[in-house]
Amino acid sequence: MSLVSGPGRAASSALPDEIQLAIEPHVKYIQSLDSRRNELEYWLTEHLRLSGLYWGLTALHLLGRPDALSRDETIEFILSCQNENGGFGAAPGHDAHLLSTLSAVQVLATVDALDELDERGKGDKEGGGKLAVGKYIANLQNRETGTFAGDEWGEEDTRFLYASLNALSLLLLLHLVNVNKAVDYVVSCANFDGGYGVSPGAESHSGQIFACLAALNIAGRIDLVNVDKLGRWLSERQVDGGGLNGRPEKLEDVCYSWWVASSLTMIGKLHWIDGGKLTEFILKCQDTKQGGIADRPGDMVDVFHTHFGIAGLSLLGYPGLEEVDAVYCMPKKVIERVLGPNK
Amino acid sequence: MAPKAPKAPKAQPKAPDPPEEYPTISAKLQAEYLASRPYQVLKDTKGLSNLSASEKAAYANYRFLETGVWKTWGAAQQKEFLKTVETQKIPTPLPLPRDLGRDNKGREIASYTPEGFAQFRKKERQLSGLRRESARFRERREKARRKQKGRGIEDSEGEIEDERNRRKFIGVLQGKKMGIYEGDPRWDDVVPIPQDDGEGALAAIAYSDEYAEAMGYLRAVMAAKEHSPRVLDLTEHIISMNAAHYTVWLYRASTLFALEYPIDKELSWVNEVALENQKNYQIWHHRQLLIDTLYPTISSDPTAIHALETSERDFMTQMFDQDAKNYHVWSYRQYLVRKLNLFNTTELQSIEVLLRSDVRNNSAWSHRFFVVFSDPAYCTPGSAATAHDPRIPADIADREIGFAKAATFEAPQNQSPWNYIRGVLRKAGRELASLEAFAEEFVKLPSESGEGEDVRSSHALDFLADVWAEKDETAKADTALRLLGDKYDRIRRNYWEWRRGLLDAGVEGKMKGLSVEDVS
Repeated sequence: MSLVSGPGRAASSALPDEIQLAIEPHVKYIQSLDSRRNELEYWLTEHLRLSGLYWGLTALHLLGRPDALSRDETIEFILSCQNENGGFGAAPGHDAHLLSTLSAVQVLATVDALDELDERGKGDKEGGGKLAVGKYIANLQNRETGTFAGDEWGEEDTRFLYASLNALSLLLLLHLVNVNKAVDYVVSCANFDGGYGVSPGAESHSGQIFACLAALNIAGRIDLVNVDKLGRWLSERQVDGGGLNGRPEKLEDVCYSWWVASSLTMIGKLHWIDGGKLTEFILKCQDTKQGGIADRPGDMVDVFHTHFGIAGLSLLGYPGLEEVDAVYCMPKKVIERVLGPNK
Repeated sequence: MAPKAPKAPKAQPKAPDPPEEYPTISAKLQAEYLASRPYQVLKDTKGLSNLSASEKAAYANYRFLETGVWKTWGAAQQKEFLKTVETQKIPTPLPLPRDLGRDNKGREIASYTPEGFAQFRKKERQLSGLRRESARFRERREKARRKQKGRGIEDSEGEIEDERNRRKFIGVLQGKKMGIYEGDPRWDDVVPIPQDDGEGALAAIAYSDEYAEAMGYLRAVMAAKEHSPRVLDLTEHIISMNAAHYTVWLYRASTLFALEYPIDKELSWVNEVALENQKNYQIWHHRQLLIDTLYPTISSDPTAIHALETSERDFMTQMFDQDAKNYHVWSYRQYLVRKLNLFNTTELQSIEVLLRSDVRNNSAWSHRFFVVFSDPAYCTPGSAATAHDPRIPADIADREIGFAKAATFEAPQNQSPWNYIRGVLRKAGRELASLEAFAEEFVKLPSESGEGEDVRSSHALDFLADVWAEKDETAKADTALRLLGDKYDRIRRNYWEWRRGLLDAGVEGKMKGLSVEDVS
């Protein structure tokens, strides 16, 4: 799966009032991504390949086309990215990283193949199977502060904390880490404006807010959030054009349709923004002919924005889409299958 | 017994004229082939029965020659045969032209012009000579390496330069540029590991040659756990092509530390890379690793610390010149403030400079809050950003409120200073109402007849709605919230309606949570 941008470009001129989601072109666009190996950009984005597969596959499931990518090939590719330490690299031969490990777990869960880990997974020294993956993640927790590093090199980020809790909960292995300490760490990242940043004291950022809220949600501690204050800051992210930005005084971008809207959903305040205007903004960022969604109207499309645009529309209840889970950014059906209906 | 020699040479068919021009080497070889069997051609064109007696005799001798059957005869008979062949001027038949194959561009060599083919052959001869020399060079180096157990091979720069040129020449002759590492004798001991993406070899064709080759050498040095100066060159080269490949950064870092490479030198190189790759975050983690390594060696030297503080700040200023809201740079800046204890006036002044050029820079506001309200000189250690800290001196709170007020006058609709003011009031444990008069400078509510309305900042209106709710002036608060939902911030109408609902339900006290009381 590639992150290569283009070839399509989102429409930039005025659009007809009745603009629709171009489902078939988006399906074809995602299917075509892996055939773009003759482009250098394909290889320059190799370090994101596994996440790219997660974005593409999830978008296809939300579009109601779960079989558009071969299940067997998907599983083979995922397993070929696993390292002996249990973690997954971004592509075969890459060092393990937490973010690609999360994508691997999410993809396997989506195609109902987590048990393949027990049958064919690596990491025998760590007990093999799902446990080896869980132990790889658990080893990345900073036992003093509760947060997580992205790999053995120690870069810390609240995104990593969320990624860990997300993957461990899907593997039913949350008990391997100190969840209470992780919760304390998230709370220490709350800012004076109600938002959360990458670390304590760092500027509030919609992407980090999503990560922090979703982590608290998985830990069952959403009660620690100052909902009204955060909802106020999040709803201020909508700009006149209908799109959402990630921080005050920044440009709107389709990917924040997910991070802001899912955060508002988690605190029950999605109705505080204008859903109709946001829907219109996302639809304007499509290439309705060749498929794909861009960050803003007129820009080059890519699979990352395609995924988050479609996930945003699903949150907004766009007709014909599968329902997305706001915490896991995966089809709700999948989460219910893995965690039970009352997760 | 051999047939008698014919009397007249007229029996001999005419061979094609040698100076004839052929379009391709294959046509030429084919013509030469036919020219070497004139009687075969004659027989094929006229038919055996139409040949004259002498032609028939010559054809028979040609057949003996072609099949080699004459070699089974007695010596005397052979001698006589050869004599006849000579007098009959029967040429020695050439073997069938062999398939010439394709060149390295996939072109049929048979389709070359005869001159082109001659040049090609000449080049091939040159190439094999160069390759032989190059192979001898490698063999000699390999032997030396084995003797020295892989360390420090003595070879004069001149010899290496000769070999480098030899390989360049080989590349030119091949018509295919040799890879940078393949052409560099210093990398001869490394066998690159090609890309294997588990899905067949097809993929390799598409790769940019330069990137693919360098990655092949990186995989090989990583597999051998080699940490040497040339690894720094290699990783630098790859980063110049793809700064987002994070494994390359990690391997570079471990090599730097293994070599005890000078950190300041690395920092200035990283500066250049960062300036060219604004969106890259690997660089910032790399930089933190460098500072973490450098700091213990200078922690007891205030001059060195100060110099580092200055050079880092200068560099970040350059970064902010390109994008003053770069999240990676600001995160790194907070790390540095904590690491080097930069809770000082220089830091605050530096933020003020940024805010003077763009008062809407929320990152700078956020950083200012961090520096002011985490300063260990007067803050309670570990006090959360959202919590009241009784140790904050009043003059600090006053100073910050004054600073933010000035910014709201400059741009009343800028949300950052309004958020900042709420944050400061919370930290200092003051009521929103303490700034009612200030906020009212931006807002005039309409009279009962609906006249005189003047709102220059929706944020001021929002602020006042909270103040009035706090003071139980519900009617005024309701007017403010209605104006926001109906007129000044219609996109969030549902939010403002929700706030109005809280007023009606008499639970507006809960709204203090927006500003003063925190849940956590």
